[in-house]
Amino acid sequence: MTANILDGIVLGLQYGLLAAGLTLVYGLGGVLNLAYGQMAVVSAMVVAFAMEAGIPAVPAVILGLIGGGLFGLVLDSTLLRPVYRLQGEARVLLSLLLSLGVAFIVDGFLNWRFPLRALSLTITGGPVEVLGVPMRRGSMWASAIALVTFGGLFAFFRFTALGKAVRSVIEDEEGAKLVGIDPRRILRLILILSGVLAALVAVTQSMSRPVNVAAGFSITVFAIIVTVVGGLGSAPGAFLAGIILGIVSSIAASSIGTFLSLVILLVVAAVTILLRPAGLLGVRE
Amino acid sequence: MTQRLADATGTSTIGGAERHVSRSLRALFLPVAVVGTLLALIPLQVGDSRVLMGVSVLGLAFACYAIGFNVIFGSTGQLFLCVGALAGIGGYGAAIFADTVGLPLVVSILLATLCSAFTGGLLSWVAVRRSLGVIFTGIITLIFSLVYESLLLGLGELTGGENGFLLKTGADSFLREQIPPYYVMLGLVLVFLVVHGLMRRSHVGWAFRALRDDEVAAELAGVDVARYRVYAALVGSAMLGMAGATYAFTEGRISPTTYGFAQVDVVALVMLAFGGIGALFGPILGAVTFTIIDELLVDLGQLRVLVYGALVITLFLWIPRGVIPTVRSMLQRRRRGSPEPADNP
Repeated sequence: MTANILDGIVLGLQYGLLAAGLTLVYGLGGVLNLAYGQMAVVSAMVVAFAMEAGIPAVPAVILGLIGGGLFGLVLDSTLLRPVYRLQGEARVLLSLLLSLGVAFIVDGFLNWRFPLRALSLTITGGPVEVLGVPMRRGSMWASAIALVTFGGLFAFFRFTALGKAVRSVIEDEEGAKLVGIDPRRILRLILILSGVLAALVAVTQSMSRPVNVAAGFSITVFAIIVTVVGGLGSAPGAFLAGIILGIVSSIAASSIGTFLSLVILLVVAAVTILLRPAGLLGVRE
Repeated sequence: MTQRLADATGTSTIGGAERHVSRSLRALFLPVAVVGTLLALIPLQVGDSRVLMGVSVLGLAFACYAIGFNVIFGSTGQLFLCVGALAGIGGYGAAIFADTVGLPLVVSILLATLCSAFTGGLLSWVAVRRSLGVIFTGIITLIFSLVYESLLLGLGELTGGENGFLLKTGADSFLREQIPPYYVMLGLVLVFLVVHGLMRRSHVGWAFRALRDDEVAAELAGVDVARYRVYAALVGSAMLGMAGATYAFTEGRISPTTYGFAQVDVVALVMLAFGGIGALFGPILGAVTFTIIDELLVDLGQLRVLVYGALVITLFLWIPRGVIPTVRSMLQRRRRGSPEPADNP
């Protein structure tokens, strides 16, 4: 049981990290970015090519993070401009359709040019003992990165002026404008941050299994599910939802088998959404 | 108030294609007959080629899917991201009823259609009960699609898993010949068009338009919003199931990708959005256009996906309402001879 829960937490940290970048953009800008998984895949390819060119792992990963951030910046300054002119559900729908187009372009290009490419970061060394359970070193690294990232996000939103500005825009865009915060600039910042987080997802996932060029769609779908369960726009919600879904999935996998564990995970997500449409830690509008 | 106004007009950018629906029966049957005649001529052109006939039948199947999706999403604004799953319930249901249980072909198709209709109606009922918005309905139905896909793979003994299901029933019937399946599918398309057209003309249609334009006002005027949403979902899902089941018998082999999310839902959404969400003939225009584009680009392989992406982006930036509503309002403006303020900014 301890092993299951630990496995679940490791998995859940990944789910949470997956959702963090998406939930902020959705909560803040009402933009549902279906190209989120492709952001991760592009960053993974940047890291893979950098390492192939002989750059050591750490600088290569940093290049990947910059790549993800640039992707976000480009999205924000091109396709999202007309999106921001709309309001409410029309904005979500247009952002969804346009980013779907971006996802097609990226997927089509990568599958055509580099169909067999994948990023896998091998972490050397034997298993680490945690509470008497041997855990893989790669997933320990991935969990540590996720925890540090969540800590960083928490500190950013809690203690920095910029982070507080972001939160104020999430809560009340008009009010934020009145006190002199430019929502457009905050949105741009959050899109860049979202790209960097997507890149981190790619990096941490590649520590336990290869991230290939076709991974984009499933990354996006899982990110959306965790985002909605956690509550739109809430990074702590994404964290909590990730951990819960991770533990559910891991316990289900060990007691009834892997194929039904996905079904159970999805059903739990659906039931949560139906019972609490605002999400676990979301703000009811 | 301003926010609310912006919301209302903004939503109708996506959902509100046709405002004026003629009450006369001729105005419905004449265009359907014209479309039917034009589509019926296609086998005269490409009937010799087995490949092109296959492509055409698939194109008509997609027209059916897009019509079903149009009934659900275009008319009542329920974003069902489980078009493929509902069609797949029809397809796999019919295959299992016919081959495994041993029921006659037509009975299997009808039973499978009922299964799809029931599932779609249930999803809609849940969404309406919990008053989920467009996006949340989308996410719940997306989750349903994923559950369906993993059950399809998990229940391999019943469905054939990754390898697919080889249908024995109907193997020696006209449904496997080269040309007849095309006309069977075309028949479905025309029946669906007429059903949708009649729905739009009936009091159901007026209720649909009322609740799409302003849900609160419609409810105040006595429209039972919940009931009409579930009606639309039942009818639309039945269409999806019947089309999926029929396609399964014409194809002879179905696999998870036949009704996959990426293969069906995404394509049906793009087709419908191209033609015009809510427009009666939007699905036909979209299905024909994208089937032709797909065939023209067949040599590009994976690059096709890239071209699609570029097309989708151009389309939604340039004509977000779709071709039919845009052309119609252009014509109307010209007829009146004076520039009319566009009803959707």
